Amino acid sequence: MNRYLYDGTADGLLSAMAWILEEEPDPEQVALAERKDTLFEDGFFIGTDATQAEALFFRLRKQAPDAAHTLYSFMLAEKEGMESSLLHFLSLAFIHGDKINGHLTHPAVRDIVGVAKKAGRELHRMKGLLRFEKLQEGAYLAKMEPDHNIIHPLAYHFSRRLRAQHWFLYDVRRRTAARWNQGTLQFGTIEQFTAPALSDDEKRVQALWQAFFKTIAIPDRKNPRLQKSNMPMKYWKYLTEKQDD
Amino acid sequence: MQKSGCSNRSARSRLFSILIFRHSNSLVGALFGSLFLRYISPMDTLAKLQILSGAARYDASCSSSGSKHEGSACGIGNTSSSGICHSWSDDGRCISLLKILLSNDCRYDCAYCVNRSSNAVERASFSAREVVDLTLDFYRRNYIEGLFLSSAVMVSPDHTMERMVRVAETLRTEEQFGGYIHMKIIPGSSSELVRKAGLYADRISVNIELPSQASLQRLAPQKHKDAILAPMAMIGREIASSLVERKANHHAPRFAPAGQSTQMIIGASPENDFQILRLSQGLYKKMNLKRVYYSAYVPVSNDSRLPVLAAPPLLREHRLYQADWLLRFYGFSAEEILSDDVPNLDESFDPKSAWALRHPEFFPVEINRADYGTLLRVPGIGVVSAKRIISARRFSAITPEGIKKIGVVMKRAKYFITCSGRSFEKSDRPAALLRQQLLLGESSDPALPTQLVLPGIFS
Ligand code: SF4
Repeated sequence: MNRYLYDGTADGLLSAMAWILEEEPDPEQVALAERKDTLFEDGFFIGTDATQAEALFFRLRKQAPDAAHTLYSFMLAEKEGMESSLLHFLSLAFIHGDKINGHLTHPAVRDIVGVAKKAGRELHRMKGLLRFEKLQEGAYLAKMEPDHNIIHPLAYHFSRRLRAQHWFLYDVRRRTAARWNQGTLQFGTIEQFTAPALSDDEKRVQALWQAFFKTIAIPDRKNPRLQKSNMPMKYWKYLTEKQDD
Repeated sequence: MQKSGCSNRSARSRLFSILIFRHSNSLVGALFGSLFLRYISPMDTLAKLQILSGAARYDASCSSSGSKHEGSACGIGNTSSSGICHSWSDDGRCISLLKILLSNDCRYDCAYCVNRSSNAVERASFSAREVVDLTLDFYRRNYIEGLFLSSAVMVSPDHTMERMVRVAETLRTEEQFGGYIHMKIIPGSSSELVRKAGLYADRISVNIELPSQASLQRLAPQKHKDAILAPMAMIGREIASSLVERKANHHAPRFAPAGQSTQMIIGASPENDFQILRLSQGLYKKMNLKRVYYSAYVPVSNDSRLPVLAAPPLLREHRLYQADWLLRFYGFSAEEILSDDVPNLDESFDPKSAWALRHPEFFPVEINRADYGTLLRVPGIGVVSAKRIISARRFSAITPEGIKKIGVVMKRAKYFITCSGRSFEKSDRPAALLRQQLLLGESSDPALPTQLVLPGIFS
């Protein structure tokens, strides 16, 4: 079995896979892993080539859009140690097209689709659970700590929804940020974050939302378990309506 | 409109409730005059919001949605194609819309409703601007997908509807609001206003309220069947013709693009489930409705016209929703699910299992060969798992382990399927035993309180 290594970046992974899919007769028999630079590591190192990486993604999107979507979501998960499964999944996707996502009895497909689904689920959830606060100078800021690295697709979603506002997204753990202002979306990292002052009416609006949240529940049908299973507690930290709990 | 004694009484009781209300605000007023001034000085938005979202939370009035699943129905705005929940309330329900009444100050007196004029509750009304601002403030902070606006009947149906339409109009034309708007139509309002509502809202709905005209007459005497059905039919026509026009001209105005829905109250009147399901079936087929919502009657008064319930009939509501899914997505007809001999849904089984038990000749179904429609009839196989079975089969025959991974609920399905000819359970089980087995396996079904209806109420 041939063994290959790549540099640990997303581009590196994609370009390594592009190379293997091109050169290896049976990619399903090949293993791929991140280079850790330990003494006993063996395998051929494949260098990173951003154009190769991009070309692979576009080719997949053309031949199997659903599988490309799965690949994209999988990359959001930042999962380590699943490179070989991903390679096998891609090689199958190029043979079978989009049908591959239904082939859940194949272990590599099941693993990749499973991870991608989880990332997709969190992305969908955050579209609802993200909370913006209005800042003094009129911009809005939303902080979050998601498990997956979803700031790109999330920012894209809000760039269509809250078009007329100036806003920031901030991933507190990864220290990455997105900014939307007058039709342009930018991404960057934040070295040091100082909490900006809130606008004067922010607390009033938050109190209205908290009041609505409380009154809308039917008192004799309290169901904290169901609430937590739909809205896990790890997200409560930034939820306006959960600040008094 | 029924006038005379009825409305006098309600006027008196409203005054009474105002007095109580002032009192509870502990206004230590000396003169009645100053009290009066305090009263007409505007109530603040927070206090109104508490009253008017509280009044919207129960499903049993024209003043609310009755939809636990509203989340999945919305998000058709310009930004999202699948429903987004923004929070889950303490009772575990998805919150996606700002669901409020414009007013709970009703001049009608429907027996089943908390806001009926003869009931002493605190009254409040929003101005159109207040609702617009609330919606925008919440939307900009990503609390909501949009607005769900309903109202009690203030002054007259047209007076109320006119203000509701003004909210939607301001949101769309002045504020360029692109979020979701669902508006209830007040029965009896003019067709001009209904048409306007449809132009601004994504979805509009007229509540059918009760499953028969006789019940409507008894419990909601000021509402007439025609005042409900006429706008429904008109909305259906407008939606259809707007679709046709938009095919020809992309810029033709959209009319309620997310369609029309309705709601009825379950358990406040004597209709059986068969009557109810046939009514829904007719609404889906003839009026082209998107959804019918059922809402368990929550006892709110001791009116002698109403049944005495120990608790809202939640399990019955749950079973009706399941049967409704069978109508809409599983290719069942009301007549297959129930009949004049068995007019009510089985409380211990979901309607699909009940159908399967009555039709042993249909089973077992072979997982590796049956078509989509047949797979859908197997208890434990839903729309998603049926589709997965079809797509997984293309690669290789599905094995018994494979079935579980696909998401089929085996503890129910195992009695009804074979996998490449192999069965999971002895199929010659006598029906009674099978019922018991299924019941035992049913335990994961959410435990809902059973309804308790005292006999002889509807005499
Ligand atoms: S019209 Fe009837 S159901 Fe609607 S709010 Fe008034 S009393 Fe309640």
